[in-house]
Amino acid sequence: MREFDQARWEYENTPLPPELAERVQAGIREGKLRGRKRRFQRRFAACAACFLLLMLAGLNLVPKLAYAAVDIPVLGGLFQIMTFIDFDVKDGSINYAVSVPRLEANGDLAKTVNAAIQERVDFLMEHAKQDWAEYQDAFFSTGGTEEEWGDREMDVFVGYEVKRQTDTQVSFVVTLSEGWIVSMEEIYYFNLDFAEGRNMTLQDVLGENWVQICNDAIQEQIDASADDDDSFFFPPDQGGFTTVDDTTTFYIREDGVPVVTFPRYAIAAGAAGVVEFPIT
Amino acid sequence: MQEEVLTAYLVEEQGRFYRLAYSYLKDRDEALDAVQTAVCKALERQDTLRDPNAVRAWFYRMLVNTCMDILRLRAKTVPFPETEETVGYEDPFPDDTLARQIDALPEVMGTVIRLRFYEELSLKEISAITGENLSTVKSRLYAALKKLRISMEGALE
Repeated sequence: MREFDQARWEYENTPLPPELAERVQAGIREGKLRGRKRRFQRRFAACAACFLLLMLAGLNLVPKLAYAAVDIPVLGGLFQIMTFIDFDVKDGSINYAVSVPRLEANGDLAKTVNAAIQERVDFLMEHAKQDWAEYQDAFFSTGGTEEEWGDREMDVFVGYEVKRQTDTQVSFVVTLSEGWIVSMEEIYYFNLDFAEGRNMTLQDVLGENWVQICNDAIQEQIDASADDDDSFFFPPDQGGFTTVDDTTTFYIREDGVPVVTFPRYAIAAGAAGVVEFPIT
Repeated sequence: MQEEVLTAYLVEEQGRFYRLAYSYLKDRDEALDAVQTAVCKALERQDTLRDPNAVRAWFYRMLVNTCMDILRLRAKTVPFPETEETVGYEDPFPDDTLARQIDALPEVMGTVIRLRFYEELSLKEISAITGENLSTVKSRLYAALKKLRISMEGALE
């Protein structure tokens, strides 16, 4: 029994990492959000599922997405952004919530962007199923039982959000993710100018001095958060923020303000998620 | 159970969750991941908690399953060759004690031992967590104790 007391003492004296509280808070935040989404979706899922399954069968959607073979005329303006593929469906234990945007415009810009998005979506569709099958396989081949497997599910998500749209320009964000016990997320930012037929840069928005303007605004916001308990930023010498450059991503807010973004883990702890800085 | 009550419970007991996760994974970062994932799942699926008195068993089930998932993923991944620096770094108690023997038990046995003796859960609660019936849990516990060559009074109550 003495030996056992020792074992238990060790257990109870496992050192707790200082970031535990932060990580628990991050889990709470994310869980609340997902829970709301889940309860909301459930209400709609029952009535929509049958119909969508039929549509899916017709489209031969998984693993490869079918392309609509219709040319939609562009009405007024230089371009249109529309939802090209949209479905919310459960296939076995995989939940798909996919809405893929598509640009309708003359010229190469729309074509290039559509193709880039389609490529990522196709990739996700092909690999999600495979990853899930591999995981299931590993689960059962290492002694997992049907009972333990229980109601495990995987979420496959593609969505987009138009941040700002004018007659000639559009800024939108496409998110693709695959989530089970680990979660993989890809986020793409598009800032397009159809009058010029090209991608917009931070220089286009902020002028010649864009690097300095961005760096000052970002540093100010990082410094301001340093007093918060919630500050997740790494110090500059430990992989924290140093400067923006040509690869820095951004979108343009509805009021025209550019918002610089950094992927999860890039300059702050994972719990902070994607970090955003409005450059005002 | 109200969301605030659940949140308060999760915050209050976070140290216990981490210790349990660490006892499975023996890796600080993975244990943190496990706790965060399980907490997230708990809030996401709070509607599946029917009896607020059973919150502990309900949550531990998610936490234990998450740890098992991570162990399985690890078994699937080719191990990274350990350098001298990393050997033993994570484990603050590197010796051959009962604690090490418990760690070396097959997962299903280790689970019963940890939950019974470290977390002081009842066999009924353990059966709810592992999804096995009570007699299976009992025989697992017997087998584990036999393997550890120790007898503990009251272990089967």
